[in-house]
Amino acid sequence: MCELWFNVGLSSEASLALMPTIIIDNREVECREGISVLQAALEAGIDVPHYCYHPGLSVVASCRLCLMEMKVSHPTTHEMEWAPKLIPSCQTTVRDSMEVRFDSPAVKENQKRVMEYYLVNHPLDCPVCDQAGECYLQDYSQRFGEPNSRVVDAKHKNPKKDIGSRTLLYQDRCVMCTRCVRFTEEVAGTQELCIVNRGDRAEIDVFPGRGLENNLQGNVVDICPVGSLLDKDFLFEQRVWFLKGVDSICPGCSTGCAIRADVNDGRLWRLKPRYNPGVNDWWMCDEGRFGWKYVHDEMRITRPRVRRGTAIEQPSWESIPTIVQQRFADMVAKYGPASVAVQLSPEMSCEEAWLLARFIRGMAAEATLTLGDVHSVGEPQLFPVSGVAGGETFVVQPEKHPNRRGVEMILDGLGGAMASREDVWSKIGKGEIKAFWLVGGYPRADWAKKELSAATEKLELFVIQDMFPSKVTETAHVVLPFCAWVEREGTFVNQAGLVQAFKRALPPPEGARIDGQYLFTIAGYEGLYTGERVRAMMVSQIPGLGQIHIPPPQPAHQH
Amino acid sequence: MAWQSIDRVTPADDDSDEPLLSEAVKEKIRGFFVRYPTKRAALLPALHIVQETYGQISHRAMRDIADLLEIPPSHVLDTVSFYSHFWRHPRGQKVVVSCRGLSCELMGAREVNEAIASHLGIREHETTPDGQYSFVTEECLGACEHGPCVLINEKLHKCVKAADVPRLLADPDNDKVDVPRSDLYDGLPLAKKDVLPDND
Amino acid sequence: MTRFEPVLLKNVGVEGARTLRVYESRSGYSSARKVLGTMTPTDVIDEVKKSKLRGRGGAGFPTGIKWSFLPADRDVTYLCVNFDEAEPGTFNNRYLVENDPHMLLEGILIAGYATGSTTAYIYIRAEFCEPFHVLQKALDEAYAASFFGNDIFGSGYSLECYIHRGAGAYVCGEETGLIESLEGKRGWPRIKPPFPAIEGAFGKPTVVNNVETLACLPHIIERGAEWFCSVGTQESTGPKLYTLSGPVNRPGCYEAPLGLTVRELIEGDDFGQGMIGHKKIKGVIPGGLSVGILTADELDCQLDFEDVRRYGLLGLGTAGVIVINEDADMRAVLANVARFYAMESCGQCTQCREGTGWIDKIAKRLAAGAGRGVDLDLMIELTRHMGVLPGMSICGLPDGAAYPIRTIIEKFRDELEDLIRRQEPGDAEAAMKQINPAVYALPMTEQRV
Repeated sequence: MCELWFNVGLSSEASLALMPTIIIDNREVECREGISVLQAALEAGIDVPHYCYHPGLSVVASCRLCLMEMKVSHPTTHEMEWAPKLIPSCQTTVRDSMEVRFDSPAVKENQKRVMEYYLVNHPLDCPVCDQAGECYLQDYSQRFGEPNSRVVDAKHKNPKKDIGSRTLLYQDRCVMCTRCVRFTEEVAGTQELCIVNRGDRAEIDVFPGRGLENNLQGNVVDICPVGSLLDKDFLFEQRVWFLKGVDSICPGCSTGCAIRADVNDGRLWRLKPRYNPGVNDWWMCDEGRFGWKYVHDEMRITRPRVRRGTAIEQPSWESIPTIVQQRFADMVAKYGPASVAVQLSPEMSCEEAWLLARFIRGMAAEATLTLGDVHSVGEPQLFPVSGVAGGETFVVQPEKHPNRRGVEMILDGLGGAMASREDVWSKIGKGEIKAFWLVGGYPRADWAKKELSAATEKLELFVIQDMFPSKVTETAHVVLPFCAWVEREGTFVNQAGLVQAFKRALPPPEGARIDGQYLFTIAGYEGLYTGERVRAMMVSQIPGLGQIHIPPPQPAHQH
Repeated sequence: MAWQSIDRVTPADDDSDEPLLSEAVKEKIRGFFVRYPTKRAALLPALHIVQETYGQISHRAMRDIADLLEIPPSHVLDTVSFYSHFWRHPRGQKVVVSCRGLSCELMGAREVNEAIASHLGIREHETTPDGQYSFVTEECLGACEHGPCVLINEKLHKCVKAADVPRLLADPDNDKVDVPRSDLYDGLPLAKKDVLPDND
Repeated sequence: MTRFEPVLLKNVGVEGARTLRVYESRSGYSSARKVLGTMTPTDVIDEVKKSKLRGRGGAGFPTGIKWSFLPADRDVTYLCVNFDEAEPGTFNNRYLVENDPHMLLEGILIAGYATGSTTAYIYIRAEFCEPFHVLQKALDEAYAASFFGNDIFGSGYSLECYIHRGAGAYVCGEETGLIESLEGKRGWPRIKPPFPAIEGAFGKPTVVNNVETLACLPHIIERGAEWFCSVGTQESTGPKLYTLSGPVNRPGCYEAPLGLTVRELIEGDDFGQGMIGHKKIKGVIPGGLSVGILTADELDCQLDFEDVRRYGLLGLGTAGVIVINEDADMRAVLANVARFYAMESCGQCTQCREGTGWIDKIAKRLAAGAGRGVDLDLMIELTRHMGVLPGMSICGLPDGAAYPIRTIIEKFRDELEDLIRRQEPGDAEAAMKQINPAVYALPMTEQRV
């Protein structure tokens, strides 16, 4: 079968070009060097159907959807002619002046037949399938497929499998693209998934007793082009066409994965990773992916609360700025500016940290600033787990906060009186600090330890900005809500120093206002808080925070 | 419609965590390492030896083989399930493999298969209650000039007619080969304590 | 026609032919000694190129040219011997090796030397139990005589040779499927490029050769490339082992120069000696199941690499000739063929995985008496959308599925349509419901012929 119609006849000088130009469907396309024709076509905006190809995984060319026609040199006449056989575009690297086409009868016929083949054993599950609305079997059938079915024979019925604590496998919907198997092999390195049987009875499976349990396993649901691999968490929860996706950054650790928050009806339903080369590529870890349940916890602090002695009031948001400003002014007048301190949390955005620091320093120029509790859990988790040292492509950081570096940059930029967290707390204990604004905002409810509440009883003015009530919030004079990141907007700086912006996806819970807004007003600014407004002011003082890292968009038809 | 659902995360109750392969079996498998540049390439020989020793390749066996070859157990399952020679459930002392290739079918293999199935009283991939015989059909066995062919363990029987089947299956020596044998891929005799219960 | 003096089968029937002593006494291993003692690898490759030896495994690719694809700067090279032989109707490799195992081993030595191989793996299918024992014993003998291992014949060339048993998968006869199986994985063929000569087994340059191809090598060396070219036709040189099976008087493995006609093979006194009971020939599959079918009018087809294709067939394949007589029901033949490819498809490429499975279901339904005329057109159309030749699949298995299905339907269309017409509507529906109880109210009797 070795008819050598391949890849001869292109000049060697052409291959030296760094940005090769190829011709796709009579259109000249300049593309990056070393990529596949499929990737070049997708980046040029051409919709080439594909299942098994993924830029983050090895090429297997098994789905046979991306086949194209290519001009090659005729073996005897040496003229460039359309080769009689189709060639997978995912396994062909671009070379300068190569000519290919997807818009031809042979290519379209192949796409139609392959789509028909996929539907031969596929169950008619669309009405009950989670993937409906974002399903590449639906989309490709509509765009490239055959509208009428010719199958009158029984379909092979495959079982539904529970393959892990968070993932289901509905085998009958699987199209055997093997993306999931290659993911656990190459990206996660945990190698739980495998293929069993052969032919059209081939299935995806795990070794019994060794299910899909690794910190990156949620990504297999993302890369599955059909509704075969399903998230137990999201199963039957929402129809995806009701969801609105908002660009965000995961606050789970200092990696700062770019994500998309899918919301509807005032609720968050799921998080999906966004393409962000060099940071998280196409992936996110399970801790971040599933660690957002606290957003809808009913115990969250929402309305502001003020304590005078034993009397507790819930003033309106309009009166809060005056109350806070007045109380701080009184403290400064009574004890002097050095008695004021503020502990910024690594959960805050840069803008919020800057606004708060500006307010406190505005009240007392010698107020002490410090960076609060930084929680580090375990060691960095390197993926692939079975890879060679230094070859990791994804790291889950032990530092479980999104913005320690950002807050540190704010502190460095502002300068002035600084102290370590331990020093500040010892001063509080000695009674040298009388007015203290503590920012928490940790989703871990246990961060506020009993020892803290004992120390804070000595304060005359204790403002706390936190997410959940605790013994510490009970001792506070002013309690303000620390809203969830999906309700706020601003920037986080990740462990590598990249400044990344996140947007508002949800309104805050009833009765709450987001931190950015009330800090904006408390700091004396008028009008609506936006991240951009504050950054415009911040940048003159801390220029490093002005360069926002925006990942390049993925081509529209890439998936 | 009630779809079939399988829990893959929890192993079966009787799939114990105890190691299965004896040291002798492992040593024999290790003897294959020198032939290949990777340990993984010794997987097919290992599976043959384990199947010949224990009569099947159970999940316990797959785990042990995976440990020995330093590969994940999912890879062992992947390979085992691909090939039709490997049994993942217990099989009889003698495996009757009947050819279903075109040449044999043209010479009457269908009647032979029916005769075997009815004489033994079992269907394909099943084992007789006394554990003596299992029956499968396989694609062309490569002995088409003597069709219909029936392979009993290692012995290939040629030109089998439906009428011959009872006599053939009653012959206690129907799996004896008459050429000098190499024990390279043979299983090892089981110590009494290794003998498995009927089900796994 | 004068009887051809056996070359490949020259030791068959000789007492003790399997032993080294008898083999050597009949000029065995003299070619290997000549090669290792007096020729360079390039000499050997040139001689094989001159002989125009083409691979006997099915593809017919020129062996000398395949060997010359190996990169010049390589350290480790593997020689894989393809003894998987699972093509239905084919048993020449088995016949040769179980009668004369040392001829293969000598061929391995010559090929190993020519390709600079460090290790040779003989991939034998699991179902060949007795041939395995015969071959392993012969290999043990050869090792004991230092014909394998280090410094063979004092030439400085070393070659290790191991037998690797397969486990029942036809697709492992495909060269990269074989390599994957050798490496201990499922036998999924690899995408090419990279070709095995560059990056094959364990990432190293690898050559995969068929048993019969290797068995030709001692004779090319002994008698010369010119002699080899004088046997057979212009483009299809050398002797060939033909295997004949089905309801003929003398099925078996026969050696004759390439170019023998189908009629001669079936009816010749030296070969098949005609049909059992003087039945009429209905059809002949001349190259192993995968090449397609010839009708009774096409028996003058010459069995070489060129002529077979003029009849719309894939090629010579393995020259495994299956004869079908007038008693056979072509629907059953079609169902047998369809089932084979559906069972053996590895499952990687969509067209092969789903296509062969779908054709299998249709053919089964047809054979059960519930077919429709439109099913025949449907199956033909499906066969046009699979295979490595149109570029739609990774390996040649679906081409092997497409040709017999298509040629059987095209060449026996009248018979198939007649059988469909004779189906009783009620019976057809009942059969359909039995096969497919989940489906109801089918347009079963519509669109009949």
